[in-house]
Amino acid sequence: MSFMVKTKLLATHFPIQDFFGRELGLVKAVDGVNITITEGSTFGIVGESGCGKTTLARTILGLEKSTSGSTILGSEMSEGTEETNIEELDRAGLRELRRMIGVVFQDPMGALNPRMLVKDLICEPMVIHNQKEGMRERAKELLKMVGLNPDHLYRYPHQFSGGQRQRIVIARALALEPKMLILDEPTSALDVSVQSQILNLLKDLQKKMGLTYVFISHDLSVIRHMCDRVAVMYLGKIVEESEAETLFSNPLHPYTQALVSAIPSLDPKMRRERIVLEGDVPSPADPPSGCHFHPRCPIAEANCSQVYPDLREIKKGCHTACHLVK
Amino acid sequence: MLEIKNLKTRFNTYDGVVKALEGVNLDVKEGEIFGIVGETGCGKSVTSYSLMQLLPRTAEVVSGNMSLDGEDITYASESRMREIRGGEIGMIFQDPLSALNPVMKVKDQISEVIRLHQKEELENRTEKVDSGNERNPYILWSLIFVSIVSLFYFLKLEDSFTDTLAKLLFWSSLVGYVFLPEMESNSYRARTAVAETEMVVESLRQVRLPNPSQVANSYPHELSGGMQQRVMIAMALAGRPRLLIADEPTTALDVTIQSQILDLLKKLQKETGMTIVMITHDLGVVAEMCDRVTVMYAGTVVETGNASEIFSDPKHPYTQGLLSALPGESKELSSIGGSVPDLLDPPSGCRFNPRCSIAKAHCSVDVPLLKGEDYKVACHEVKL
Repeated sequence: MSFMVKTKLLATHFPIQDFFGRELGLVKAVDGVNITITEGSTFGIVGESGCGKTTLARTILGLEKSTSGSTILGSEMSEGTEETNIEELDRAGLRELRRMIGVVFQDPMGALNPRMLVKDLICEPMVIHNQKEGMRERAKELLKMVGLNPDHLYRYPHQFSGGQRQRIVIARALALEPKMLILDEPTSALDVSVQSQILNLLKDLQKKMGLTYVFISHDLSVIRHMCDRVAVMYLGKIVEESEAETLFSNPLHPYTQALVSAIPSLDPKMRRERIVLEGDVPSPADPPSGCHFHPRCPIAEANCSQVYPDLREIKKGCHTACHLVK
Repeated sequence: MLEIKNLKTRFNTYDGVVKALEGVNLDVKEGEIFGIVGETGCGKSVTSYSLMQLLPRTAEVVSGNMSLDGEDITYASESRMREIRGGEIGMIFQDPLSALNPVMKVKDQISEVIRLHQKEELENRTEKVDSGNERNPYILWSLIFVSIVSLFYFLKLEDSFTDTLAKLLFWSSLVGYVFLPEMESNSYRARTAVAETEMVVESLRQVRLPNPSQVANSYPHELSGGMQQRVMIAMALAGRPRLLIADEPTTALDVTIQSQILDLLKKLQKETGMTIVMITHDLGVVAEMCDRVTVMYAGTVVETGNASEIFSDPKHPYTQGLLSALPGESKELSSIGGSVPDLLDPPSGCRFNPRCSIAKAHCSVDVPLLKGEDYKVACHEVKL
């Protein structure tokens, strides 16, 4: 299967500046990330807050300028030409890119302008990309597609519940018939029963339209349910990447093991022995030397604090960045 | 220990009366971890606010009965409530950063609780404190400053009045330099402060914060989210409550920090033997932590029972729907159709009937009562 987006040693660093603009340090939000997102699949990115999940997605969208490395678009995404590098795109090219990739953010109320009608909200991307013909009809169609009533076109966002608002955001993201959707914590602000509705909707849409998803979340059970391939991030680096099922049934990296064991199990009889990590996530501005995870790692050795372990293939399709995993 | 009977709370709004709670029944036994679980707007928090009399002015408790250890606190006086809040019932809120005062140091915030609810303990400790002859550096430096300034005038001025004044200041500051610092550091206030700091550090140590004395001297924004939540717990425990209400204690935290906090709460419960009421929307957290669980929907209790029974064999259709809506091992995710009703105009009869898959005609007429002994369900169609 061909790939949609591929990153090669992608890095996005933010400088910390003082009042006069002198550089005091670097926050390495994304640091040397290699991922390949294949067509029609769901790629999950999971990690705690501040680990760089969102920055990675923004860099892929071209919203954040990468410091080094490259993001390559597959032939499917770059209309005819072989492969395009996002870093080389001009304004028009970026605009075209954003037509191909839709985005759904976490907080639907924050993503919808409270003073615009649903009609205007959904039509706005079509106006910007000059596809004004039959706009109204298209908007109605989109609303139906996400399970809302076409009569809702003339209402304001505050008249909807959280789940319905998220549906509007999804409808807007689909307005330009994108090939790929970036879903940044789409259900974190929602209740369990609404969350399942939205997840089901996303799955249906994927099946119907053959979409590719990049699914960002901190909720591991949601990731497990949605994704084909999962990358676990910690302080800007990928520590483990493999098929969703293998990752959850047999996590290799000690951080992934701790994360997976932290999923609260529903059966009180089956209360597993949880691996409770000591301490907090270190500041990304000043990450620990060697393996970023070593101060919290239960199995760390002397070597871990000196050399950063490279991502290596342990089994087929299963990459882990740890010295000690065999 | 805690018993809530038929609690009804209403909010008066411009759009009408919101029937937030419609006959809530709870009983919490001594020494257990009790979970209240439900979706946004189901009245979990309103229940705890009603109990603590922390409701906004627009709200009122219409009927019902709440008792703590047999004492009716439904209409307890404000002064009694002040004793109860923090003293007998401690509370932890969802977002630690907004619950902590950003302009007060951690130690000042915790010692406030100690001064209010642990007077006796504080006095006992103050008796024992002997701060020795340590001089208060602030007073010391101000005295040195005054003596230097007055010495300067003393040597310079000839004008008789100012001269005398300067002389007076100079000598008195010298006297103060010798005696006052000792008096100050041995004063009751100073010794109480020492005892207070001691107790603050102890309570911070109790929640396993590394380097508690440093944390005590920092402001909330200097701490990470997990540490802030630990400070909140320390503050709630400083009043030595017998009942701790934890309102979504881990919602704002990351998964690994969440498991740290849950672990901590469990350990503290074992150590102190207090009762914990966990309010949360996360079914996983409840399954992990609680002995008994109450499921709420739209201001009513739909099911109460042992955690193991509820999660292995839920009786009420809402609980069943909620559990099957959780993403898990299976590939298919079922969901409950529709959305939570508007409490301005709740459905008649059973509040769940418009979304219920097994609803019959009488469900929209009769309000189902909570039936059963230990395991209670509020549904017409469920036979126990």
